[in-house]
Amino acid sequence: MRQVLEALQRITDAALAFLPEEQLLQTLLQRVLEILQVDTVAILLLEGEALHARAAIGIEEEVEQGVRIPLGGGFAGRIAAERHPITILDVDHADILNPILREKGIKSLLGVPLIVQGRVIGVLHVGSLTPRVFSEQETDLLQLAGDRAAGAIEETRALHRERVAREAAEAATRRLEALQRVTDVALTYLPEEELLQELLQRVADTLDVDTVAILLLEGDAVHARAAKGIEEEVEQGVRVPLGRGFAGRIAAERRAIAITDIDNADIYNPILRDKGIKSLFGVPLVAEDEVIGVLHVGSLTPRTFDDDERSLLQLAGERAARAIERARLYEQRHVAEVLQRRLLPGVPGEALGLETSARYLPAAGGSLGGDWYDIFLLAGGRVGIVVGDVVGRGVEAAAVMAQLRTAVRAYAADGHPPDAVVDRVNNLMLSLGPLAMTTLVFLVIDPGGETIEMVSAGHPPPVMIDPDGTASIMWAPGGVPLGATTASIYAAHTFPFPTGSMVLAYTDGLIERRGQSLDVGLERLRGLADGAGDADALCAAIVAKLVPEAPGDDVAFLAARVPPLADHLSTRWQATPESLAPIRYLLRRWLLNRGASEDEAFDITVASQEACANAIEHAYGPGLADFTVAANYDDGRVAIAVTDHGRWRAPRGDNRGRGLSLMRELMDDVEITQRADGTVVTLVRTLGSAAA
Amino acid sequence: MSLLAQVVEERRGDVVVARVSGEIDASNAPWLDERLRSAISNEADGLLVDLTMTTYLDSAAIALLFGLATALRQHQQQLSLVVAEGSPIARMVQLTALAETVPTHPTLEAALAES
Repeated sequence: MRQVLEALQRITDAALAFLPEEQLLQTLLQRVLEILQVDTVAILLLEGEALHARAAIGIEEEVEQGVRIPLGGGFAGRIAAERHPITILDVDHADILNPILREKGIKSLLGVPLIVQGRVIGVLHVGSLTPRVFSEQETDLLQLAGDRAAGAIEETRALHRERVAREAAEAATRRLEALQRVTDVALTYLPEEELLQELLQRVADTLDVDTVAILLLEGDAVHARAAKGIEEEVEQGVRVPLGRGFAGRIAAERRAIAITDIDNADIYNPILRDKGIKSLFGVPLVAEDEVIGVLHVGSLTPRTFDDDERSLLQLAGERAARAIERARLYEQRHVAEVLQRRLLPGVPGEALGLETSARYLPAAGGSLGGDWYDIFLLAGGRVGIVVGDVVGRGVEAAAVMAQLRTAVRAYAADGHPPDAVVDRVNNLMLSLGPLAMTTLVFLVIDPGGETIEMVSAGHPPPVMIDPDGTASIMWAPGGVPLGATTASIYAAHTFPFPTGSMVLAYTDGLIERRGQSLDVGLERLRGLADGAGDADALCAAIVAKLVPEAPGDDVAFLAARVPPLADHLSTRWQATPESLAPIRYLLRRWLLNRGASEDEAFDITVASQEACANAIEHAYGPGLADFTVAANYDDGRVAIAVTDHGRWRAPRGDNRGRGLSLMRELMDDVEITQRADGTVVTLVRTLGSAAA
Repeated sequence: MSLLAQVVEERRGDVVVARVSGEIDASNAPWLDERLRSAISNEADGLLVDLTMTTYLDSAAIALLFGLATALRQHQQQLSLVVAEGSPIARMVQLTALAETVPTHPTLEAALAES
């Protein structure tokens, strides 16, 4: 009995549980062999529907030959199926499936099922090379050994399962971390170049590859934009036509491609082979359902990328595409915004002698378009107004807009008439190559001559509002859009524009509505402008009533009105020579409105300009200094007062003395008043009488 | 470039003709001064400034013409002007006594015939 207990103790030794399964089984068999003093011992474990020989002593061939016994078949199969011990006294005449048992000369067998929590997990059996009757006690002992073995096996299996599960969890975590690294949201805020570099580094680290490259689609080829390990790709500006080679096929076929042996593959770019790359794997970069490029990794040793690595690169590609797209949009939007801001003038109404108001409203969704307006002073006090619309969006449209805006200004400043200006802009545009199609309207207001000239290049007609508030569409035959053909002829049309008139020019976003004819939109705009008497109020009303909450297109519009000039005028100007021209245009118009002759207007203007030139010269230091010009008309008597904040300086040299004598010659009276806060020069002349 | 005025230069025999159109005031007089001084070469006998298409001149412009005349004289070269009779420019030239210092002609043809 003591022996039995000792034997049991040896079989159930807790320490066994910590051995790996193979070793545990081997140790168990050894102990069973010794305790029961048998010649053979074997353990078969259930896998699926069959028992597999897993460990054996005396009949090692069972394991070596990988013996499998179906459940219910033969000696072991029956034990497992019937879940109870079986003894065979005479092997030679029994139902035995496994020939090895006989071949080894086994005469008697005893086997027990291995059961854990009611589940059969295998069979333990012992054999004797001499006929032997196993006692009930021996059967119980083997069954106990079997139970303990089953428990131990199950324990190591549980440990193993746990370890496998833990490893799987760890691998999953590592994958998630790796993924996290390539899809880090923080990357989104990097500029495109930096984003690409950072992505490459992270992909290289995560997949432990020798090369990584990102190629982006431009036109009908993918261009190497960032690379690691194969920097030459970028340096040499590699471009792979769509459908060609490795990267070209990935982009064209929109699928991942793996190349295990580069020497036997269709490769377009020789750098890959030159660098000694053996294996490649690449995925398409897809953003908003469009292929935007290719991401590929390479290995200098032959390598097969496993499913995990492939899906990781796929995911990296997906997220990278999104990040690239976002970075691009962000960058584009930023550049377009800066361009727009720089190009749209803050309209200096007073300096133009007009009341002006303008708006630029980007389309919903943020992508800026190519709409613009511009307003500038021309010689003689005329004012040029441009409203244009470059088809397209983003940086490209903004760049075309910048070119056209400059071209119109330059040609107009050169003194070309309005139709010639538009003609030249058209020719310039054609000579620059294929640019986006553009419509524009160019208006020149002559406040003194009370006319407005219009040249249209396929642009919607402006709206004019008479001094009495009547709004009408400025219909006139127009030319085709810019950049269409050199054969186009642009004609200028002149309309009367009496003081108090207002013009409104705009881009088509203001009158276009899906499913509506343009005439409906035009009439709606005309109706809204009817009765308008103030540029700012008109623009505010348009924003409130005509621009949708979320406009689908960007909209630009500008209103300019020639304000009537009262008998008393009071204006403030920056103390710079650039103020001289608008001052004389304003004074000239005011004088002509008061009934002054051309000569009188000239004389008084020249004299006033001399006073202004003095005020500008006296302004201490550059910057914010200003001065005022007031004009008063009373029963034929004109008085102009120019007030500055500096001290009057005695004229120096011939030239400035000439200014003072000019004033005296041109006016009836010149008075210079020195005050504590500045100097006032008052010039008086009565119209209809020769100057003093 | 000036938004207010344009200049076109042309060699006519021994003189350089500069046609000034637009307006000259203190804002663009320095530009015009530089432009006219660089228009005349050592070989030319003189500079003829044609103000027929000029619509405005202030004392800064008059000053630059006086200065230009002095500078040319120092190089034995002569400045002369074309000013349309009865124009506002003619009035300025007369009021400032510029015409007393600088030969002034009513038309370009007359000026070229003289030189």
